[in-house]
Amino acid sequence: MTRFSKLNIWRYPSRWILFRLDDRLLLIIIGAIVGICSGLAAVAMCQGLLAMFAWMHHYRGIWWAFLLPGCGAAVAAVFLEKILKEGAGHGVPEVVYSVVRYGGLMRLRSSFSRLISGCLTIGSGGSAGPEAPVVMSGASIGSNIAQFFSLNDRQRVAIVGCGSAGALAAIFNAPITGLVFTIEVIVGEWSAVNVVPIAIASVAGAEVCRLLIGNQFLFSSLAFNVDLLDILACLGLAVFTAAASVLLTRGLRHSNRISFKLYNKMPMPFWVRPFIGGCLVGLIGLALPEILGEGYHVIRVMVKGAFTQGLLFVTVLMLAKILATALTLGWGGSGGIFAPCLAIGSFSGLVFHRFIDLLGPGVGWVDEGCFALLGMAGLTSGMLQAPLTGIFLIVEVTGGYGVILPLILVSAISATVTHAFEPASFYLKELVEKGHYLRPRTDERVLADLTVRELVEKDCIVVYKNMKLGDFANIVKKSHRNFFPVEDENTGNFVGMIHLDDIREYLFNPILYETVFLEQILDTNVATVDLDDDLTDVLERMDEKNLFTMPVVVNNRFVGTISKATLLDKYRSELMVQSYY
Amino acid sequence: MDLQLLHIFRNTPLGRELMLQSAYFCRILKILPVIYVPQYMKFLMYFENDVVQVDLDGSYLRSPSTARDHAAEIIRQQGLAEPKFLEPKNFTASTLPDLPINFDFMCCPRTISDLSSKIGLGYIGPRVRRIIHSARFPVLIGCSVYKPWQSITVFFGGSANAVKALRLGFRLARLTGFPLDVFTQEGRRDRKYYEDVIEKENLGPEMDRYARQWRVYDSGEFIDNLYDVPHDALVIAGAYGHGVIKEVLFGSTLEKIQTQLPNTLLIVGPNYRAAM
Repeated sequence: MTRFSKLNIWRYPSRWILFRLDDRLLLIIIGAIVGICSGLAAVAMCQGLLAMFAWMHHYRGIWWAFLLPGCGAAVAAVFLEKILKEGAGHGVPEVVYSVVRYGGLMRLRSSFSRLISGCLTIGSGGSAGPEAPVVMSGASIGSNIAQFFSLNDRQRVAIVGCGSAGALAAIFNAPITGLVFTIEVIVGEWSAVNVVPIAIASVAGAEVCRLLIGNQFLFSSLAFNVDLLDILACLGLAVFTAAASVLLTRGLRHSNRISFKLYNKMPMPFWVRPFIGGCLVGLIGLALPEILGEGYHVIRVMVKGAFTQGLLFVTVLMLAKILATALTLGWGGSGGIFAPCLAIGSFSGLVFHRFIDLLGPGVGWVDEGCFALLGMAGLTSGMLQAPLTGIFLIVEVTGGYGVILPLILVSAISATVTHAFEPASFYLKELVEKGHYLRPRTDERVLADLTVRELVEKDCIVVYKNMKLGDFANIVKKSHRNFFPVEDENTGNFVGMIHLDDIREYLFNPILYETVFLEQILDTNVATVDLDDDLTDVLERMDEKNLFTMPVVVNNRFVGTISKATLLDKYRSELMVQSYY
Repeated sequence: MDLQLLHIFRNTPLGRELMLQSAYFCRILKILPVIYVPQYMKFLMYFENDVVQVDLDGSYLRSPSTARDHAAEIIRQQGLAEPKFLEPKNFTASTLPDLPINFDFMCCPRTISDLSSKIGLGYIGPRVRRIIHSARFPVLIGCSVYKPWQSITVFFGGSANAVKALRLGFRLARLTGFPLDVFTQEGRRDRKYYEDVIEKENLGPEMDRYARQWRVYDSGEFIDNLYDVPHDALVIAGAYGHGVIKEVLFGSTLEKIQTQLPNTLLIVGPNYRAAM
């Protein structure tokens, strides 16, 4: 082995024999590494938030404390925009975008940017959750490790999923939730090749959290005795949480639109928008401090059934938390939607419980803590449109399967009802609207992965507009095609096409050979394709005009042709590539 | 004309010089210039195994109202057809467009993210380096002032990337009809080694056909020998040699070339795939 080849083994770690034994083994080993790293990121986020809460606690009673969430969100925006130069967002949609569009390629800076900006926003009192930032961080860690090992697109997507699962498993101490969320929301497909490494990463992430922070349930609850009447009441709760999900989804979008309108109308520095949103949250927080931060403390109280305030106050709290979340995230704050979903969900559960208790005071409903749990599951399932995530999350964060039946019921119905009003989840809505939500092996994805450039056929014989029909007839004899692009011999510009079907009557009339020029018989009204056109659009145009072949023309120059036959060949090849593991 | 060159247009006098070089390159090689006039301070390029975020120097967004006209004017002056302006279709974030990467060439200044005052011999910015490292296309790095090149010089050091650079040089020589010079510094190996590489790569016939001269230096410092490179030559070189350290830097040869030569450079990265 030469000195250079010895060094080369470090350049291409993915070629190490250990990893080349089996692709699945490679994914499992890398998945475990990624799970540990993303678990560490989640622990760092937790500890950072605790430190921020402890530091901010001293200032909460001061009259100007309402400025704190604004300052936190503004500093987070400056950090993201000016220091790291990364566009702000909720995190999860960007992870999904990178998975569906670019095989999970993510920037290295994303592995820590949202951790810091999330800490600043949430720690200062912004109504957002730490889960999306850690999911983004874990996914980015996974993506960059996959890039280091030069993994292919599908392997990289699995490793990005490992990062996301490890992070979520660690922050909730919930490995199954990490796995299920990743499969339902991030990766979007259940396959053995994905599930195994993601499960391993999930376990690794949760174990890291247990080792460093301790093995404890996020919300320990009482044992609930759920009877038939409670289960029937759950149907109403499911619809109620679905309504809250729709309200939150639309509130976030409207808030975002309003903030951008204001930003566009009034010239102001970019950080003023999150500052205003944060200050408004701070003002609400002066009257209702329960809505500040990620809201875990108040959830714990509700789950234990120790929340003493009445129906009206809880309803106000629920609406205020929705408003605060919309103001924080819609106005450019950094953080995720998961924790607010849990808080709003538990408020919804409590509101509903108190409402039915008002209707039937002597019925003996199950403890309101149970409804708080079910509300969390319903709202999470509705917002994410991922019912399994909602079910397993509540089971794992409370440590019991006692309410599994109503959990399934509420989650499934809430997700279904929400879907009727909001066909795409909060995370995916924008991607779906822009046509970027392309899952593997779907028609859109296969077409998106092919380009006109790959399909161009260049074996056409180009003819010129001043050519005589007789000369053209000689060319036809040598060609196996029945269409010919026509160019201007002086400028080289494309001027039209000749289809043999259109000129057959001239072609078999030798009298015309010396008198007719191609300019007289060519079709100038030809639909053309550019190299940058999307294949979906090209196919639509072909179907509209009943064409099987179209010329590709760039800047008036003929480049080649594109045909449905070639497209079908390439389509099948691409589909096989996407289906192969 | 189906080959395309991506040019990120900077609407400043310095940007004009670079645009002139792109336009000349496109005219000589019959390539379609695709011009991106930035509307945002940053953009992303998703390559096969890397995603590169380019944070532009603020001067790229100067005078947006005249940018397109200025770019089009330069293209027309070179006798090319109307330029094609790139409009990003995909956005990772609302102010972060994704630029496509399916081009055959890209033209960059020596630095794209730092202030233009840093542009000078010996400095190639980190973003440009990453693009070269990840791209399938060679990157044209223009000099400060437009100067039409009249010959081609390829630096051949025997590595895989040097072979790619040599192939590209032959293709450009074939398309342009310009004379091609090949430069080799012997170093620890003798001329026979380089001849064997050319023989092994089956490049002998093209070497005989296109190369005006093959200068193999067995003495003298490499830097001193660079004086023999014609002042009006397009210099083609591979970006990386062998080893770990040279994966991070360009490779010692190219670092010396870019430090000493003011010529227009066409750099072939490790992921380059021949397009012509």
